[in-house]
Amino acid sequence: MFATTKQPELLPYGKIREDLFCPLSGMTRKYFAAILIPLLIILFGAYAWTVQLRYGMGVTGLQRPVFWGFYIVDFVFWIGISHAGTLISAILRLTDAGWRKPITRAAEAITLFALMIGGMFPIIHLGRAWYFYWLIPYPNMRLLWPNFRSPLLWDLTAIVTYVTGSAIYLYLPLIPDMAQLAEHNVPWRRKLYRALSLGWTGSDTEWHALERAMKLMAGIILAVAISVHTVVAWDFAMAIAPMWHSTIFGPYFVVGAIFSGLAGLMIVMAAIRKFMGLEQYLTRHHFDNLAKLLLLMSILWLYFTLAEHVTVWYGNDPADMAVFGARTRSRFAVLFWGMVVVNFVIPFILLGIRKLRNIATGVIASFGILIGMFLERYIIVVPTLSVTRLPAASSNFYMPTWVELGITAATFAGMIFLYLIFSKLFPIIAVWEFKPHPHEDEI
Amino acid sequence: MASVTYLLSEFRDKEAVASAIDSLRASGVSTADLDVFSEEPIELPRGVLDRPSRMSLVSVLGAIVMGTTATAFVWWAQNNYALVTGGMPVYSFWGTGVITYEMTMLGAVLATFGYFLWESGLVRKRDKTAPVPVVPPECICLRVRTAADVARPTALLRAAGAISVEKKAPL
Repeated sequence: MFATTKQPELLPYGKIREDLFCPLSGMTRKYFAAILIPLLIILFGAYAWTVQLRYGMGVTGLQRPVFWGFYIVDFVFWIGISHAGTLISAILRLTDAGWRKPITRAAEAITLFALMIGGMFPIIHLGRAWYFYWLIPYPNMRLLWPNFRSPLLWDLTAIVTYVTGSAIYLYLPLIPDMAQLAEHNVPWRRKLYRALSLGWTGSDTEWHALERAMKLMAGIILAVAISVHTVVAWDFAMAIAPMWHSTIFGPYFVVGAIFSGLAGLMIVMAAIRKFMGLEQYLTRHHFDNLAKLLLLMSILWLYFTLAEHVTVWYGNDPADMAVFGARTRSRFAVLFWGMVVVNFVIPFILLGIRKLRNIATGVIASFGILIGMFLERYIIVVPTLSVTRLPAASSNFYMPTWVELGITAATFAGMIFLYLIFSKLFPIIAVWEFKPHPHEDEI
Repeated sequence: MASVTYLLSEFRDKEAVASAIDSLRASGVSTADLDVFSEEPIELPRGVLDRPSRMSLVSVLGAIVMGTTATAFVWWAQNNYALVTGGMPVYSFWGTGVITYEMTMLGAVLATFGYFLWESGLVRKRDKTAPVPVVPPECICLRVRTAADVARPTALLRAAGAISVEKKAPL
């Protein structure tokens, strides 16, 4: 258990500013080492992609009848992680929850980076990635337009909207902090922050506009986030395929996305706390609240998983049951039950029992949840395609190749890399939001 | 035309700022000539220095315009090169509803951001001659733009609790 620390809201402003701005300056060897390792993995992933571009999709494990594999799993997984920022930041901002303050920026950054990574996968999955612009409606030579009824185009519009909204949602509260950072800094940083803060002076007109914009954006981004993962779910649900064609897939995916997003946030927060020395800002109280949210989402996730599977089992439709059997009793059973253990059993024990609930167990549970949610997407995507429905069709066991594994590893490294760069350029906690607010203690 | 002068006053708490604004407005100073500077948002009592905004309206309008334009474009594009749909409608509102929805939200996002930049004055042509105070931590600064004599507003600021009042000429 962590010792009770001094409430950060009551720290003097000078100290808050120093603590949160100081990690931005100076580069240590540890930092370089931390950035080099993910960079090497990213380079390996880039090499794997060039191999795929050079030799075609045959270098992947994708073959008849399984044409959706790791890339689609990665896509759904990263879009899910991106929901961390939305839930924590937008919902808690709209409900005026005070404890969100040190968490929001870290969460908003996760959203943007996860979306950038997730958004790459439809392009990687296209194979001939250089033709991705065919998705964009423009008057081409043959007067062809993309098929707007295609879920691929829905994904494009949904992700473009979400990336744009998330980038603005992250940028807006950064403006006042960047204006402060522009005051005393090395010349190149001063130029950068001055340009990005757009000449912010801290006048009441600017503050009013910022607060209004943040409130509106929180509402909009929440609606967009829910729609984005619903659209991702519809990529499957709109197909008349066993165990995909389900009316609850939209909310099921949204719940799963928020669940994995929270787990990702918990890990990031613990890393920031430890490596940036922010113990006074990210307290046990914050982790406790996050753990409770995580526990709630774990129970909700179990409810949706049960609802989905029990309905199929009771209906006993042969096509559905073939996939159901593959998932729960044969080829994919280890993955399925492993998923249930790491997504529900372990979090329920570690986070549900009060004596066991602390930062370390929260992080362990979160790592398990991330693995579990990756497995969940794999179990949704692959078995339906592996179990063929035509008598003459050959069934195939999909195994990802080193190319897919390399690209997948690079995405995780990419997340760490982007986060390390971001945390060196911008304060990971919004300083202006974190100032002492005596009136909050009175509430 | 009388020459313009700026008074930069420093306060420790927002109640004193609110009181200063009240007395300045009672003496005939317009709210357009008053600006409060701080390192965090200051919530003044309703009616003290309200800044009415049309941001919500602009956001809704942006959503409507972008959503309608996107829907019209999809309708036109689907009819411009009609695909074989096997007797189904060439254009389907529900089939393309996701695009309408996402573009509506994108319109709201862009309109909100654009109007924020405009309303906050960050991209608008601002009065470059107005001095911008450097606000020390824990302080609130009230800037008064006055064309008349400065003695009365200075006295009002001091009476309201200003810890310092500085007279500044336009830059």
